Amino acid sequence: MIETLKQPVLSTDHICMYFGGLHAVEDVSLNIQKGDIYGIIGPNGAGKTTLFNACTGFNVPTKGKVFLCGEDITNLKPEQIAKKGMARTFQNIKLFKYMSVLDNIKIGFHLNLKSNLVDTVLHTKQFKADETYAIEKGREILDLVGLSKYTDTKAGNLPYGVQRKVEIARALAINPKILLLDEPAAGMNPNETQELSVYILKINSLGYTVGVIEHDMKFVMNTCNRIIVLNFGQQICEGTPHVIKTNQNVREAYFGKGIVAGGAINVAAEN
Amino acid sequence: MNMLADTKKRAEMVFDKHKVLISLLLLAFLVLLPLISNKSYVMGVMCRILMYATLAGALNIINGYSGQTCLGVAGFFCFGAYTEAILATKVGLNFWLCIPLAGVITALVGLLVAWPTLKMSGIYLAIVTLGFSEIARLLALNATPLTGGALGIKNIPVPEFFGIVIKNSRSYYYLFLVLAIVFIFVSNRVIKSKIGRAWMSIREDELASKSLGVNASVYKAFNFMYGAFWIGVVGCVYAPYVRFIDSTYFTLDEGWNILSMVILGGQGTFIGPVIGSIIVNFLTEVLRPIGQWRLVAFALLIIIMMWYRPQGLAGATDSKLAGNKMVKKLQDRGKKHD
Amino acid sequence: MEYFLNQLINGLCQGAIYALMAIGYSVVVGVVGMVTFTHGEVMIMGAFASYYVFQYCGTNLILGFIVAFLASWVMGIFVYKVCYERFFNSPRHISLLCTIGFSMLVKNLAQIFFGPNQIPMLNIVDIKFFHIGAMQISSLQIMIIALVVGLALALNYVFYHTKFGVMLRSVSQDKTAAYMVGINVKRIAMLGNCVGCGLGGIAGLLICIYYQVVQATMGGALGMKAFSASVLGGLTDVRFSALGGLCIGIVENLGITVTSASYRDVFAFGFLILVLVFKPTGFVKKRGTKV
Repeated sequence: MIETLKQPVLSTDHICMYFGGLHAVEDVSLNIQKGDIYGIIGPNGAGKTTLFNACTGFNVPTKGKVFLCGEDITNLKPEQIAKKGMARTFQNIKLFKYMSVLDNIKIGFHLNLKSNLVDTVLHTKQFKADETYAIEKGREILDLVGLSKYTDTKAGNLPYGVQRKVEIARALAINPKILLLDEPAAGMNPNETQELSVYILKINSLGYTVGVIEHDMKFVMNTCNRIIVLNFGQQICEGTPHVIKTNQNVREAYFGKGIVAGGAINVAAEN
Repeated sequence: MNMLADTKKRAEMVFDKHKVLISLLLLAFLVLLPLISNKSYVMGVMCRILMYATLAGALNIINGYSGQTCLGVAGFFCFGAYTEAILATKVGLNFWLCIPLAGVITALVGLLVAWPTLKMSGIYLAIVTLGFSEIARLLALNATPLTGGALGIKNIPVPEFFGIVIKNSRSYYYLFLVLAIVFIFVSNRVIKSKIGRAWMSIREDELASKSLGVNASVYKAFNFMYGAFWIGVVGCVYAPYVRFIDSTYFTLDEGWNILSMVILGGQGTFIGPVIGSIIVNFLTEVLRPIGQWRLVAFALLIIIMMWYRPQGLAGATDSKLAGNKMVKKLQDRGKKHD
Repeated sequence: MEYFLNQLINGLCQGAIYALMAIGYSVVVGVVGMVTFTHGEVMIMGAFASYYVFQYCGTNLILGFIVAFLASWVMGIFVYKVCYERFFNSPRHISLLCTIGFSMLVKNLAQIFFGPNQIPMLNIVDIKFFHIGAMQISSLQIMIIALVVGLALALNYVFYHTKFGVMLRSVSQDKTAAYMVGINVKRIAMLGNCVGCGLGGIAGLLICIYYQVVQATMGGALGMKAFSASVLGGLTDVRFSALGGLCIGIVENLGITVTSASYRDVFAFGFLILVLVFKPTGFVKKRGTKV
């Protein structure tokens, strides 16, 4: 296939994450291509968030490697990985809840601002340029994703669904090559989830590659173009939504061998 | 506590509207004060208030803005003061040159202190600073050839400023005033910048800030050094003010004294430590008759403050310093699927 | 050589007391889940309580230990109510500052009521000396070591062979989970805190008997040493905290022979730095990832 000749944005090479005797992630090799909305699904405890943590430097992988646009980032720290262009969000929203939305975004520009202590104290041209950049670019991003009306609202005061969007927008501020979202739809009602799906598709259309961990099947099937399924830390299937839906192993992982064998799943597979 | 919040809101509204005017009035008052009341007792108290306002302010940069916990202010104060005293008496170095030197040396000591625990939970830093404070005092007490040991260093030369000898309370008042103003001016600029934002993001959520590219270890270390620098500078000005220093000036109690100003007055804002300095020094004078009960009163105030207003009287309500009330509600929602 | 060996024995004995301090401290921090600055003051209160009991009720050693344990237990209840109960869901620095305030309160009240000076501890124990070859060990030292070992074994029994111990351990591992299986988390946290404080009280009394002096300002340095020792056990592991206490005791006593007695307290700090540099998290049984 032509896809495999292009260098993937994010790829893992037989990555393993062990905590003592617990093999949280076992031999997972995935490739996320540019422009993908790549879903990572699996039952609870399948190792999805651990996989994310291993890729983004929050846990050091026990075995295997992680590559970002071909560069080995396996042992880098989270802030170094962010610098290389991988942004992430967290399962429980980690916004700076007491700061305004714009201030949250401004922190995302940290890597882009170049003033040092001297610039700051003396308010040199560099400093002024940086501050203007932060404010203008921040407003730009908020415009782009449709959150302008919340610019000066304190992040903690926003509705839950909007908070998630702000967290994602903040991640965009580091101008990432890939954006990893950890259960973005957690705690959302069907309306909010639908809005989130539209939001992510929009971000993708702006050129961002996205990786998503999610539980909500409808969301995943509607939003992602490729999916990997994990169970007990191992990858059991990878492919398009259709491939995943019809895969025997996937069905067994979710519904158990008994029910699948009994053929009662056809109804569910239609969704 | 609602009354307090309302008063504060009203005060903030008035202040915002007439920011420049109020600042100028305040400045004029402070500059003219010695002409109104030249009593050396009043000047002495004002000197203490200004000096401690800067000390508390520097501690606040560490404890209030980056979320780290430094309990060993006295140790850095000791380094700053002794550096000046030693350089001035043994080497004859000019006071004004001592200032940046004392600051830089104390900052480097700060780096040494903070470095082992940068990647660990904040409590370890707290304990290390505590131990450091005592080590500094013991060093001052025992390194006799350098520090005069138990006898301390005396006859510290007074500074001169273009021919004006800075010897009495009134001239020191202006020195401390200028120091406080410079500190607040510079620190205000640092806080309202990429650096300050990085510090506050580390305080609010270190993991999130790392995921956005903030090198938390470097910024925490720099924050610590910045605070230590200013504490050292204050120490440098303190030495010729008192003209004699020994290790008893830099006990843990002195550290608790400064810490309580930050706790009571407020963390995470600029006005907080100033108010803290005013309150604590005022109470120290007023409660002098009751002796040690004064310290009991301070301890009770700290406990009460932690119970009802952890960020302090004039502290940053919009931050983790004020407790976790807003955060918890939202975390519960995100956990529905687990 | 004999001097060295004797200092080693002194170190062992002192180390035993420090181990008891550290055990108490790690029980408190482990069960409550918050770091505290009050342990030093709690220990000294136990010692003072016993001192006054000795004054007025005669020098019965066993009574002294019971009183020290109980007095510190009660003190622990106060510490819990003021510094911990309210702050279970708050950022940790708030409870920490509260314990600092509390320890300031107790320290100054103690100085007001007991005076700031050293008070000679009454001669409780008839000290006999035993000689093994060139070494010399006193009956007091034997008693101290025996007592600490006994208490450690008793604690071990409680922790691992009683229902109460199971509850203590589950609260220290995960309060939410403990709550969900029906454990009264707040009550167990308080009891665990009190047990740790009680042990601290006995340790405080032992220190005062060993040094033959009790003083209201002793709390600070003792608390620091309890913390430094516990770092080896990640602040929560009882066994390694005890080991840390032993190490500090030995290092201290050997160290002051090389330097001088005024540097005694520095060794605990040196030990702390050493552990922080080489094994910052201490030796703790893994509890899974905690963010």
